[in-house]
Amino acid sequence: MVLKDPKIVIEMKGIGDQYSFIGKRVPKIDSIYMATGEAKYLDDIKLPGMLYAKVLRSPHPHAKILNIDTNKAMKYPGVKAVITAEDTTKVKFCHLPVTPNKMVLADEKVRFIGDEVAAVAAIDEVTAEEVLDLIEVEYEILPAVFDPEKAMESGAPKIYEDCENNIASTFVREFGDIGKGFNEADLIFEDRFTCPPVVSCTIEPHGCIASFDISNRLTVWTTTQNPYNIQRALAGVLKIPVNNIRIVNAYVGGAFGNKSVILPLEPIAAFLAKKTNRPVKLVNNRQEEFISTRTRYSMIIYLKTGVKKDGFLTSREAKVITNNGAYNNKATGITLLTCNRIGNLYRVPNVRTKAFIVYTNNQYGDALRGWGGPQAHFAVESQMDIIAEALNMDPLELRLKNANQSGDTTPWGWKISSCGLTECLKEVARISKWDHKRKQSGPKGIGMASVIHTGGGSMGTHGGGNYSEVFMKLNSDGTVNVVTGDSDIGQGSDTILTQIVAEELGISMDNIKITSRDTDVTPVTMGTWGSRVTFIGGNAAKSAASEMKRKLFEVAAEMLEVEPHNLEAKGGLIYVKGEPDKYLSISEVAYSSIVKKGETITSKVTYSPKNTSPPDPKTGYGNYCPTYSFGVHVAEVEVDEETGKIMVTNIFAAHDVGRAINPLLIEGQIEGGIAMGIGYALLEKLQWESGKTLNPNFCTYKIINSTEIPKIQTLLIETIDPDGPFGAKGVGEPATIPTAPAVANAIYNAIRVRVKDLPITPDKILKALKEKQKGELIGKK
Amino acid sequence: MKHKIRLTINDELYEVSVEPYKTLIDIIRDDIGLIGTKKGCGTGDCGSCTIILDGKPVNSCLILGVEVDGSNILTIEGLRKGEELHPIQKAFIEHGAIQCGYCTPGMIISAKALLDNFPNPTEGQVKMALSGNLCRCTGYKKIIEAIMNVGSQ
Repeated sequence: MVLKDPKIVIEMKGIGDQYSFIGKRVPKIDSIYMATGEAKYLDDIKLPGMLYAKVLRSPHPHAKILNIDTNKAMKYPGVKAVITAEDTTKVKFCHLPVTPNKMVLADEKVRFIGDEVAAVAAIDEVTAEEVLDLIEVEYEILPAVFDPEKAMESGAPKIYEDCENNIASTFVREFGDIGKGFNEADLIFEDRFTCPPVVSCTIEPHGCIASFDISNRLTVWTTTQNPYNIQRALAGVLKIPVNNIRIVNAYVGGAFGNKSVILPLEPIAAFLAKKTNRPVKLVNNRQEEFISTRTRYSMIIYLKTGVKKDGFLTSREAKVITNNGAYNNKATGITLLTCNRIGNLYRVPNVRTKAFIVYTNNQYGDALRGWGGPQAHFAVESQMDIIAEALNMDPLELRLKNANQSGDTTPWGWKISSCGLTECLKEVARISKWDHKRKQSGPKGIGMASVIHTGGGSMGTHGGGNYSEVFMKLNSDGTVNVVTGDSDIGQGSDTILTQIVAEELGISMDNIKITSRDTDVTPVTMGTWGSRVTFIGGNAAKSAASEMKRKLFEVAAEMLEVEPHNLEAKGGLIYVKGEPDKYLSISEVAYSSIVKKGETITSKVTYSPKNTSPPDPKTGYGNYCPTYSFGVHVAEVEVDEETGKIMVTNIFAAHDVGRAINPLLIEGQIEGGIAMGIGYALLEKLQWESGKTLNPNFCTYKIINSTEIPKIQTLLIETIDPDGPFGAKGVGEPATIPTAPAVANAIYNAIRVRVKDLPITPDKILKALKEKQKGELIGKK
Repeated sequence: MKHKIRLTINDELYEVSVEPYKTLIDIIRDDIGLIGTKKGCGTGDCGSCTIILDGKPVNSCLILGVEVDGSNILTIEGLRKGEELHPIQKAFIEHGAIQCGYCTPGMIISAKALLDNFPNPTEGQVKMALSGNLCRCTGYKKIIEAIMNVGSQ
């Protein structure tokens, strides 16, 4: 059924008025499906004969599996299969090319509460759930360790026999001469910051359906932002060729980096589907989302910074301890980016970071909106305010003095092609009335924090290059099909890519149909992560459209008897330059080429940035990203000193977005990022006690709701990146990163209490206030 | 043992046989086949499964089918009239109030229940009406603006 398009008002006050589609507030092209309930998500798919699976998880944080008896379970009515590690390939997997150690189902040992031990496929979900109790597992409980600093001590329980001090990996990255830098400093600051484990809380849980056909070809429908990661990893785990696996993702109900690599879910469903010869659906319940999906890595950051009296930074040193959890996944890459955010935000001439990635008996970690950025920025930006106060300097002035600038190459090798950090700082201070509000006294406070982030993915931190491909096909009526491997996960990339193609090709967005999310159809790309699709996918789409235009002009030039370079395309027409009456419609040209001459017009472009270099394996030096995004958030808070309750009343957000291709969607990214950032600042933490998650539901693990969202004012700064499509760069992750430190700084401004341990909950405020009062009393004596 | 119940959903009468433990969300999705209503938590915390039951917005994951025999239900599929979208649906699209869209049906239904009772709500009323509907993508701002805009028309 075709729904009538709603009368969508496109405000023409968009920034790029020389353009027809770029800079316009275009609603997301797929939102009509979501508003009507027509959009099909994973759990909405039902296949004939489909079975339902459930997973038996370890109740112990660390134990040997002595025996598993599935006999009773197998005999339960409605049960079609019960599998353990013995029914799998026992291939160990891991996303990054470090030591893989996670198995689909544990064979000898379990290493966290929630570790997958066995799985059941039954005729319905109720049966599958009930039968889990009948699987008998005999464990020998082992001593466990949960705190990464304790896990590194000698004598700590060993999580892997061959791993000394539970250190999964460690590295040092050093640029310049920090000794010299600290010698030159007038003041040196040392602080310890801690960041909690949090989960993605996508409202759609992780899930999948696996189905083999008669020739053993596997189709997996899954909730992913990166079908090719899933395909590649599944091929390895299942030991079948890549082209025998088709990955389809339905609409994805939120991902945030957390749905980019396989969970054990996909291979479990595949092994069960193979065993039963029937399609198998496996969807996490909400409790499983909290206890078994991967967290944003919790980190401990020791940060030491040297500064001159005039405010210029001379040296920065950090020790970062990442809680890897029980298994390897992305911690090396994410911790590397934590380290280089510490080194690259502001002009710091001398930097040394040392990282320890430490196994514990907790659930393991993953990417979650920011790739190590939220952790790094909480530390750096909290400490910048500590420094500013000691220097008796406005935090804005300290940041302006040290701000990165366009044309900088950082000691780490990052080449900053476009940088709006100074403009963001100045403009956000202006709109927030910073100067005036800083002078007010408690319980109200105002604070700020900046962000530097990858504005188009990065190299070497995600296992390899940074590329996207777009394929385009012209139809005989002048309409166009665009096929991309990058996934729209709600952020609106299908809309952005459509806008880019429409602009470049000079046709309306209605005449473009975009297809993504199916590995049988779409080209190989790296998928959606690292705020990369607008920049990398957008460049591929722009070049593919440009190539199609070139081919169209060749045909049109012949028809109009002019040279191709004398033509231009706009509004669905191809004109002779300077002769507005001499034109052909694109549909005429397409029809002529395809139907009359039998020459189809297609284009295919792979975009991979030329200005990047992967991290040097020894030193880490390199220009990882084709562009860098910047932003500044100002937070206003009110603190109730009696209860410790904090209310965020206002957020002002300025972001350097290169060019705002779609201000409506960018604002949406920023507002959503702020909401997630406030949660990180004040509410969110998995409460682990001896490895058990005490708050595995939305009732006790709070994310912010509609009554807690502050007023938000967004400002988009256009720096027109030289390499971005129409000058654009990514904003998805930068939107969330500076919020938590801005809130922490605002709290300090309100009540002179510095909490260095996220989330900043009322109990921590009250404790800190008590300590402050004690200090003041001692001071008076 | 299954129980036969009758439900009027989006002005159509359905008769279904359901197990006594089956929740309304599962009946609406599995037995009736209206999959626009989403399941986010199953414990009444996220609001994705919000429907209007006899005029009131409720979490359909917390209600058993056998409890509501004979009731009248509105789901997201019942809002548009043929090809014409409901003003709330239009406003959500135009204001950019939808990102991943998973919470959207529940949000729109909560908005509908509010506007049915308070056609010109205050911002505070809108925020309260949505307080049981979680969204991880949008930060709520554009959702609130969309509903306020419908209210002001």
